[in-house]
Amino acid sequence: MPTSHRWEHDLVTSLSTEPGNLDTAKSKRAVISLRGVEKHFPIREGTLQRVVGQVRAVDGVSFEIRPGETVGLVGESGCGKTTLGRCIGGLAPPTGGKIYFRLSDEDAAKLDVVEATPESERTKEHLKQVERIDTDHRIDQLSGKAWRTFRRNCQIVFQDSFSSLNPRQLVKDAVGRPLRVWNEASGRDLTERVVSLLESVGLGRQHLYRYPHQFSGGQRQRISIARALALDPEFIVLDEPTSALDVSVQAQILNLLHALQKERGLTYLFISHDLGVVRLMSDRIAVMYVGKVAEQGTAMELFEDPRHPYTEALLAANPDITSEGSEMRGLRGTLPNPAKPPEGCRFHTRCPVATPVCGWEVDDAVAWLQTNETLLTGLTDVQRRSNFDATLVFKDEASASAVGAAIQNGDVPAPMRAALETFSAEGGKVSMKFSPVEPVQLEDIGGGHLTACLLHTSQRDRI
Amino acid sequence: MTTTADITRKRATTPLVASVRDLHVHFETKAGVVHAVDGVTFEIRDGETLGLVGETGCGKSVTARSFIRLVPSPPGIYAGGQIDFWSTEARRFQEEPIDLLKVSREEMLAIRGDRIAMIFQDPGKALNPALSIRSQIAEVFFQHRSQEILEVLGPNVPRILRRAARQENTAVERLLLKMPPLRSKADKLQERVDDLVAHALTETQIANPRKIMNSYPHELSGGMKQRVLIAQALACNPDLLIADEPTTALDVTIQARILELIAELQARLETSVLYISHDLSLVKEICDRVAVMYAGRIVETGTTKQIFSNPLHPYTRGLMAAVPSANHRRGELAAIDGTVPELVDPPPSCHFHTRCPYAVEICRTADPGLVSVDDGHTVSCFAYESGDVDADLPSLGT
Repeated sequence: MPTSHRWEHDLVTSLSTEPGNLDTAKSKRAVISLRGVEKHFPIREGTLQRVVGQVRAVDGVSFEIRPGETVGLVGESGCGKTTLGRCIGGLAPPTGGKIYFRLSDEDAAKLDVVEATPESERTKEHLKQVERIDTDHRIDQLSGKAWRTFRRNCQIVFQDSFSSLNPRQLVKDAVGRPLRVWNEASGRDLTERVVSLLESVGLGRQHLYRYPHQFSGGQRQRISIARALALDPEFIVLDEPTSALDVSVQAQILNLLHALQKERGLTYLFISHDLGVVRLMSDRIAVMYVGKVAEQGTAMELFEDPRHPYTEALLAANPDITSEGSEMRGLRGTLPNPAKPPEGCRFHTRCPVATPVCGWEVDDAVAWLQTNETLLTGLTDVQRRSNFDATLVFKDEASASAVGAAIQNGDVPAPMRAALETFSAEGGKVSMKFSPVEPVQLEDIGGGHLTACLLHTSQRDRI
Repeated sequence: MTTTADITRKRATTPLVASVRDLHVHFETKAGVVHAVDGVTFEIRDGETLGLVGETGCGKSVTARSFIRLVPSPPGIYAGGQIDFWSTEARRFQEEPIDLLKVSREEMLAIRGDRIAMIFQDPGKALNPALSIRSQIAEVFFQHRSQEILEVLGPNVPRILRRAARQENTAVERLLLKMPPLRSKADKLQERVDDLVAHALTETQIANPRKIMNSYPHELSGGMKQRVLIAQALACNPDLLIADEPTTALDVTIQARILELIAELQARLETSVLYISHDLSLVKEICDRVAVMYAGRIVETGTTKQIFSNPLHPYTRGLMAAVPSANHRRGELAAIDGTVPELVDPPPSCHFHTRCPYAVEICRTADPGLVSVDDGHTVSCFAYESGDVDADLPSLGT
């Protein structure tokens, strides 16, 4: 590899610099850059296992993680946050988009230029640049030495320490394994390295020759952290590291993680569903909903001045021990199916402040009709021209007009009714057409605070 | 003869629904006898929500399960104490309470699911994946309301149908019920039960209950499953509802909705709730009174206001300080050092002394026992032995 020397150089400088100066030495690059990352899982059916659809677990996520910072990733279960963590950790190749490791700002700017150019106008020079950056930094195209550097410097701590530690391995073997794989140490030297790792996470020499089942949940999580630290990585993905722990133990682990970060200049991606924990641990936070980022900003901005109804809903639903007499408020409905995410803004089906232009579609109308016991019993056929335009065929005139009356007069969400372009219920058929809406994009509303809510972006005029 | 006015007056003085006295539950293991519940005493008053808070393994679930004797035995042993329970009837006629640990198996079967119901932690595991929602809720009615169900058939119901209404029928009988002339009556019975099931589901604000009834648990989301469990638990309008971490497996946005629902149904049905949780901030939002448990014992009880505005026990304070909040700086969470002690043959001591920053000699040799320090506020700590709240500890984490 002709370019590999730059990696080595990078590694050497990062190791030789004092931890205190680490930030300034590396601030000219991001540790991890995501550009439109997608991870779709195929849905297979039948004997031939034909692909009939895609579960869009992660559907176009872009953000950067800078050296020394902690980026929090929050969302409900099933929103794709763990899948994204696995993609970043190199455990699951993304099906679309690019993940770069140690991408310099200079190269990032070059990529921006290329991406801004329409595909037909891209020159050979452009393509050459992209190819060079990809082979050097894009994690699913790294090879040889570059790939090994990435693996060394990117470690993961998993949620469930029961299943992430091999029950048949002694602590010494589990924590020492990365060192042996990399031929970093052996024999007595290895034992001493493991002891010092254990000591750095609050365990000690007496724990060397024990099995995972002999430890409590908090201690097992400490072992996992020690293992992640073994190769002195730059970046650690923390996938719900404390969600299986009690509060008093959680506090111990969070304090430990912070102390380690300060001591070793680590960069964290902190994945959690617990807003209190994320707020405490993160510098910047991305809120995910059904595979997309809904809002992104500093921890302060997000908690003090949320600019997306979903973030507001999460905050309102989160019980807070310090608040006086606040009411918890939940969200109606359930998380949409990620195999067929809603049109427009993905949150519109549950949003308390939804507008007619938020992406109402035929499925929303059908979902609403399904909550009624009798309305859809006479349905015989659905002629769907697009997600916004369909005709429901009923077996008789009466059931069609009942559905028509329900949609026009029932307690349908008002913005949904307002979004109807044409609607008719005649001759045993109900036709509806909603105005088509483009997917909502993240938009910067000042100082790196991004939101995907129409109410807060320049799209506001459309309402 | 008691009048309505009498009953109202009694409610004003909040009579008890249940009273747990010095409960001991042990488990026999190879390592020795584990004292999972080691002398627990608390009361649940009529119509209130009592929060039982504690960390994993402190014995809160075992305490709750003791109410309806669901602790597996062996290895579990009810080693002492009593759980007195007053049903609405018992209270109305001022009868003596029944000791839930002493009643016969048949009496327990009649109480369980009817007078005392339970919502379990993981709705995914609490529902039988092989049975439809309809049959799982119908079971409650067959078990406890067979007489009412039979009323639709008028007097002189054949024995085979009476047995069917109690789900005691054999395979042959089930076959007979599918044939005329019994079929029409059996269908009528089923219709009546379906109505009851649909009504129970409607109570929990499930849209389209008739459709949900015919589905299986895997077709429902976690929040829906928990609603089904709530419908099942409240089907017979119980006097006491035990909710064992009902929202731990759910997302916060769903959790808030489920808690709203429980609170609303509780207010309407005038049910008392024993709410078990490890989440202090949640308990603060929904409970009237709180009992904090540690290593098999209650360390502090009081109204929610007393506990949260003036926590006394070092453990209660430690727990509260450990919950991340906006006031904390990163890396400065007040963690409680150490881990929960082994509960195998524990010595007579304050169980918290191994982790307590204020432990003195006496804490290692004797159990302080619960001492009342304020109206309804009790604490188990030698620092307050004189009953003096002002005998204060230096505040934790400073």
